[in-house]
Amino acid sequence: MDKKLGVYVCKGCGIGDAINVEALSEAIEGLDVTPHLFKDVPVLCSKEGVDTIKADIEGEGINAVVVAACSPRVLYDVFDFPGCLLERVNLREGVTWCQPPGEEDTQMMANDYLRLGITKISKSELPEPFKPEEEISKRIMVVGGGMAGLTAALEGAKAGYEVVLVEKEAELGGWKAKFYKEFSAPYNDIHDLSVTSLIQQVQGHDKIKVYTASEIDKTAGGPGLYSVDIKSNGGSAQEKIGAIVMATGWKPYDPSNLEHLGYGKFKNVVTNIQMEEMAKAGKIVRPSDGGPVKKVGFIQCAGSRDPERLPYCSAVCCLATMKQATYLKQMDADSQAYVVYKDIRTPMQTEDLYRKVQRDGAVFIRGEVESVSEQGGSLVIEAMDVLLNDKVRLEELDLVVLATGMVPTSMPAEIPKKEMPAEGGGTELREVAPDSGFFSTPALRLQYRQGPEIPTLKYGFPDSHFVCFPYETRRTGIYAAGVAHRPMDSTQAKSDAAGAMLKAIQVVEATAVGAAVHPRSGDMTYPDFFMQRCTQCKRCTEECPFGAINEDEKGNPLPNPTRCRRCGVCMGACPERIISFKNYSVGMIGSMIKSIHIPEEDEEKPRAVVLVCENDAYPALDMAGLQKLRYSPFVRVIPMRCLGGLNLVWIADALSRGVDGILLLGCRHGDDYQCHFIKGSELATTRLSKVAETLNRLALESERVKVEEVSIADAHRIPEILNEFMETLEGIGPNPYKGW
Amino acid sequence: MAQKASSKYDPTFAKEVFEKVDSGEEIKKCMQCGVCAASCPLADKMEFSPRKIFTMIRAGERQKVLASKDIMLCTSCYTCIVRCPRKVPVMEVMHGLAHHALRSGFVPRKESSKFGKAFWDCIYKTGRVDEGVAARNYYLADGLVAGAKRGLEMKDIALNMLKHKRMNIMSAIPGIQGKKIKNIATLQKMLDKAEAMGKGGSK
Repeated sequence: MDKKLGVYVCKGCGIGDAINVEALSEAIEGLDVTPHLFKDVPVLCSKEGVDTIKADIEGEGINAVVVAACSPRVLYDVFDFPGCLLERVNLREGVTWCQPPGEEDTQMMANDYLRLGITKISKSELPEPFKPEEEISKRIMVVGGGMAGLTAALEGAKAGYEVVLVEKEAELGGWKAKFYKEFSAPYNDIHDLSVTSLIQQVQGHDKIKVYTASEIDKTAGGPGLYSVDIKSNGGSAQEKIGAIVMATGWKPYDPSNLEHLGYGKFKNVVTNIQMEEMAKAGKIVRPSDGGPVKKVGFIQCAGSRDPERLPYCSAVCCLATMKQATYLKQMDADSQAYVVYKDIRTPMQTEDLYRKVQRDGAVFIRGEVESVSEQGGSLVIEAMDVLLNDKVRLEELDLVVLATGMVPTSMPAEIPKKEMPAEGGGTELREVAPDSGFFSTPALRLQYRQGPEIPTLKYGFPDSHFVCFPYETRRTGIYAAGVAHRPMDSTQAKSDAAGAMLKAIQVVEATAVGAAVHPRSGDMTYPDFFMQRCTQCKRCTEECPFGAINEDEKGNPLPNPTRCRRCGVCMGACPERIISFKNYSVGMIGSMIKSIHIPEEDEEKPRAVVLVCENDAYPALDMAGLQKLRYSPFVRVIPMRCLGGLNLVWIADALSRGVDGILLLGCRHGDDYQCHFIKGSELATTRLSKVAETLNRLALESERVKVEEVSIADAHRIPEILNEFMETLEGIGPNPYKGW
Repeated sequence: MAQKASSKYDPTFAKEVFEKVDSGEEIKKCMQCGVCAASCPLADKMEFSPRKIFTMIRAGERQKVLASKDIMLCTSCYTCIVRCPRKVPVMEVMHGLAHHALRSGFVPRKESSKFGKAFWDCIYKTGRVDEGVAARNYYLADGLVAGAKRGLEMKDIALNMLKHKRMNIMSAIPGIQGKKIKNIATLQKMLDKAEAMGKGGSK
């Protein structure tokens, strides 16, 4: 692309007072591209300002615009010039608001940032959206026909999308349809099952195609291009699918682990599921002799919140007990319920149901159950009542109901094993990690290099970032909903399903125009592979967090651009540096680093390159500016899509040119990671652990390169982090390569 | 383990409280959060806080609850009622329990019950509280000698009240009643009805 560059400097928001625009225009002389136009405007975001740029695009044929004004995180809707390359240079939050006005160092900082911006745009090309040969499908597949799956299917169909619903069992409705009553708003009473009408609506909808007694045999392709083989009773079918909502649901916690509560030992000890089945069958009786049930003991947290059994709270067992105590009373007014609990968890309006059960006269006993035993054909619960601070005995119980929790269906009964390379060569059979695609119970059978299923967390629930993007799994275009996602009641499952369906709709619409979904929503670029130089090292296929790159038998990468989230981790992984984006590449960042002006050693103006994650660290830097926090004028910030894109060649380039140090600001990694790309910052840290070698080759100190974890809320820490790093560099002394 | 633990969580006493104690049924709403106990200005004087009293009622501890002086310590400051997240009228329940205890033959706190009786009698007979009469009858509840002794102990306050015309000297004489309000019979009818409903009274 033949670039005609226009540079526009805003003088508003204090920029004009802090920075000399004349000096700025001189500083960019000698770069690879000379701007065709260089203008300063009093307020660039005003109508006049934007019109100036638009007029130049029309009249002068400008096709590359550098806006030197505020942070790219603001006013992106104002500075929007379709068909033009655009680069925002952050002179407001990044310079004016964090540096003293009018000083030489402030000016040098602004000069460098403008040079960086112009270098970046000179190395960028306009992205061409990815258009696969195959037609993009906008149909959405819902896996699982329970409460969440049915709701998702119906919501999708109502929004005008064709939905394919696949259910493993012969009947729709999942667990809910097997129950007797449900608790849903209004919570002052229990209600008849709402799932019945939901099933009717789904079956009667002409946009929903239902497969019952069916399983998925194979899911090939990526978002917009999935080809799903469905194996039904005696037949098979293939469907073209755009996105997947995974509502595979839950199974009850295995009660055979609850022998300490009498399960398996006494016939009259049942789980809440068995209680529900009994009620559905019409009568609650003693399983031992079919006798009437008058006194019932409910044991809450049966196995739950117990590090040895089910470590988490399933959030519904308390309400299930409230429901069962209610219908127990409705069926027999003389019956008496005792509830032994650790904590009653009835959030929000569901507290109404707790109050109702209290009004009905159930007795709540807070404490630990010590034993369940039998005495003369009845059951006895002995418990430590922490409110009375005394041991209590509940005698003559006809039935003991264990309130068991929920386990996602994705959690395998036994941890699968896989052939993996052994340390001493050869292979050995080892247990796979939960966050590997080989861990979960088969449901989707994906044709991904990283395994056939969704990576999960330690409890078997699909991994997603609960705060930033709760629905997204580690496989683009596949969204978990309902209890497959996390334990929840049916009311929550319904809204969760609607949300997941909305995300599925977003991904098919974005994929149809070639754009990425979050966190880089709307990004039209995707990685390009210069295959002639590929050495089949498999590092890109190994490190891609989303399974976007498969490989053939020879180890050649086979990119699936619709699965890509555009983080650039593959770009950082490639030792041959053959993976690049139209506006993001190893060469581009390298050239940017080289365009930083390095003062002579005797000027005593050190320079540090700060590579920052654009998701968390960059906003934190912006906020430091917004709060007018002062930090060292010797840092030069270069935002990155993800630190996982870090290529070690930049470190070598920077140090050999005389940059005194390199600081990386990324997200927290580990178990409670905050990385939008799962392992980006972790990968960067791993790669840096090998940087000592480079530094030794250059005879430099390893303290010159450092990684810091910064969260989006860490603006107050920014000056401290940057200044401390600069102090370290001053202590070490200037880089001996200056001026070479 | 407590030998008689099987008597725990016997619902008979709870039923008695629900039926016979003023506002007794309200304790069903209690979720044992302990805000009442934390708010009560007399909590450090109590063996069992209101929360504990409620859980003991559920567990069937009739003897312990009705004999507890704590149910008579309430000063009606209303803090518990204001703060209870479940809107249990804790103070009313405590008064209800005190009355129920007295009716059932328990005298958890002698002084309180004597004062209560003197106060109630005064109101019932004259329709108002006469400080002299109420105090005199309270002191005399333990007999003439003890009453005279306690009356003398309070003589400085009594003299001051007389000086400021806050008390009638005549009321110190046993048997003398204070001035009655108009239509006292109507009031008495109302109070009888209230007592029949289980509210108030001194018997």
